[in-house]
Amino acid sequence: MACSDPAPARRWRHALVVAALLLVAGIAGAHKASDSYLQIAAAPGELTVRWDIALRDLDVALDLDSDADGKLSWGEVRSAWPRIEAYALARLAIEGCPLSAVGRGLERRNDGAYAVLNLRSSCTAAETPRISYALFAEVDPTHRGIAKLQRPGREVVISVLEPTATVAVSGTGPHGRVSAASMPGAIAPGAIAPAAASGSAASVSPPSPSAPITRWQFLREGVRHILTGYDHVLFLLCLLLPSVMRRSPACWQPVERLGQAVWPVVGIVSAFTVAHSITLGLAALKLVSLTPAFIEPAIAATIVLAALDNVLPIFPVRRVVVTFFFGLIHGFGFAGVLAELNLPRADFAWALLQFNLGLEVGQLVIVAVATSVLFALRRWRGYPKWIIGAGSALAIAIGVLWLIERIGNVAILPF
Amino acid sequence: MAATPATRSIAAMRSLRELTGALAAGLFLSCIAGSSGAAPITPTRDDEVIEVLPASAGNREDRQLRKRLAARPDDLGLATTVARRYLEQARESGDPRFAGLALAALRAWPDATRAPDDVLLLRATLEQYLHEFDAAVGHLRLLVARPNGSRQPQAWLTLATVLRVQGRYGDSDAACREVGRAGADLYATACLAENAALRGETAQARRSFETMLASRSLPPGTRGWLTTSLAELEERDGRAGPAEAAYRSVLRLGPDTYAAIAYADFLIAQGRPAEALAALKDESRTDTVLLRVALAATLARTPSAPREVAEMRDRFALANERPDARIFHGREQAMFALVVDRDVERALALARGDVARQREPLDVLVFAQAARASGRKEAIDEARRLKASMGLHDRRIDGLL
Repeated sequence: MACSDPAPARRWRHALVVAALLLVAGIAGAHKASDSYLQIAAAPGELTVRWDIALRDLDVALDLDSDADGKLSWGEVRSAWPRIEAYALARLAIEGCPLSAVGRGLERRNDGAYAVLNLRSSCTAAETPRISYALFAEVDPTHRGIAKLQRPGREVVISVLEPTATVAVSGTGPHGRVSAASMPGAIAPGAIAPAAASGSAASVSPPSPSAPITRWQFLREGVRHILTGYDHVLFLLCLLLPSVMRRSPACWQPVERLGQAVWPVVGIVSAFTVAHSITLGLAALKLVSLTPAFIEPAIAATIVLAALDNVLPIFPVRRVVVTFFFGLIHGFGFAGVLAELNLPRADFAWALLQFNLGLEVGQLVIVAVATSVLFALRRWRGYPKWIIGAGSALAIAIGVLWLIERIGNVAILPF
Repeated sequence: MAATPATRSIAAMRSLRELTGALAAGLFLSCIAGSSGAAPITPTRDDEVIEVLPASAGNREDRQLRKRLAARPDDLGLATTVARRYLEQARESGDPRFAGLALAALRAWPDATRAPDDVLLLRATLEQYLHEFDAAVGHLRLLVARPNGSRQPQAWLTLATVLRVQGRYGDSDAACREVGRAGADLYATACLAENAALRGETAQARRSFETMLASRSLPPGTRGWLTTSLAELEERDGRAGPAEAAYRSVLRLGPDTYAAIAYADFLIAQGRPAEALAALKDESRTDTVLLRVALAATLARTPSAPREVAEMRDRFALANERPDARIFHGREQAMFALVVDRDVERALALARGDVARQREPLDVLVFAQAARASGRKEAIDEARRLKASMGLHDRRIDGLL
């Protein structure tokens, strides 16, 4: 993807071509060059292709937007489908395998909606099938097709198809191999080295080595994340504030012995731990994945609701149950950080365990300190009003501001 | 039965409880349902919108022009108009697809030796946008070697710029002087001052910029880029105060994405990431802007940091599906690897690949930062040799090597 490079020439040009510089707000979102994705599965006697092509690119070639309103409706795409198929099929040839369309679909990818063409041929593809590719050759010479060739018992071979170039996709030899990638578009960054400029068979090299990992790096990351993850700390504190008190219908009563405070705390902390471990694990194993655009505001919402419940009981079920549900949400938040840490594939389970243990250690420190301080303060007459009341009000305020920040993508708070 | 205040408040409490119960359940359910990533779309009605085209691509006028060009692809005026519009759109949105469309608009002239001047200049400019610097230099040299080549100030100026980006300051000087011979004196002077500043002839370059800026009749755009050049000069010379003053005065003139990014880099280097975020808040989120936002948010530890980082990571992953992506994005990916991932080896490899093609001071700086972080003597020596071979003056890099 070509970036808007600091492009000094742009400045020069604007200076020479003296024109009013109208800075139009750009389109937010993923910007990448135009690519189509081909998943080719070759077995003896049968070859299938799933071909994903961006509707945005098809619109340039085929004028799909028949009412020119800047939007593509399903009706417009559906009625244009025969043209899409004819256009695409005329621009792809796999040696010895005449292709015909057998199915269709639509797919949402990060950079927009894609038409999905399912193609089939009853043929046995050559060992290194020659593929000629000419999609969008006349509307965008920078367009490429990214092809993954799968054969039973073989590793997946990825190659880049250039319009009007014929590529022999080879599955043998030291080059042309990457570790098997199963999902479309799920190639890890770093898996592919820049291809030779010749544009012939794409050469692919093994992943670049990553920095050596110290033994307890992920434990430390876990501790660090919970101690500096103010939102998780604030949520825990909200739950702990009333723990040294008992709620009677009329008022708050301080507990007598430490034990009376400790057991509810243990229950709440355990519920939180079990819940976030579940979702952290699910997300880390890529069984469930959630967009931070949803999780981050949801975490802020849990703070507001937990704090609100301190002032005014609002939950229809016991706090432990609520804590469990909210813990599930926080687990996804932890997983977001985990994704950024790039856990090593080889020691994945070990790294995940370390990270989670680190979270728990950090959490125990916070809980121990907070509970001790709160227990010491419990007989203070101002406790219900100032610690629970004002403390929760403050937490609600911060939570609401975070919620606004995270939904509106604006910065209000300095942390 | 009239409700007493007590029963009313109990009822209110009960409905509030139901509401929060529903809210909590809703939160959880949407957790389960809202999986991201590639997902099938199953439209149910014909009027269901499945794709919103970029404003410009959906624009009626562009559509008309495109249709007319499809009917008459060798209409020179039409083709260059369409290509120019797409080039502007690529620059404004940071969306490289438009650069591809622009190149396609010029497809009636595949042979560079016989392409009209305008077509050749546009093609070279597009190649520069796509970071194909060698191709751009080749086409520009072809253009200025034509009989009327001495009367092409824009071609010479673009050539000087591309050569500067490649770190070839001597060759760039020669092109700058031709800009003057072609009759654009101010641009020739600024062009030479820019190179002088890069080589460390700082006092002379500063005087040159200040003299040009003293003119009252400068258009705001020209004033903006001259002041930005001055700011960069001061920053490379290690004078943070004057650099900041210059950046601020550029941004007071009006929106300027280039200056906002340079100022954000300056603030990040000064350890002021929160201010860097503020400097970028009105910019559209192109990849280069988002990179700075992600770096600054990480360093400032804002709650939005994980989201910004994840978005940047997604965009890199998408781009990297194409093997040559790192050519365009080597510098940005190296900065990301260094600051966010703290993966020094990867940053060093990316930065080394980047400086093989592109040698603006920032490219060399990132390479030096990665070399220093690696602690490896041969990498540090390599960066030192590169800087010396270019003759670049940059105190930020001196501090690292």
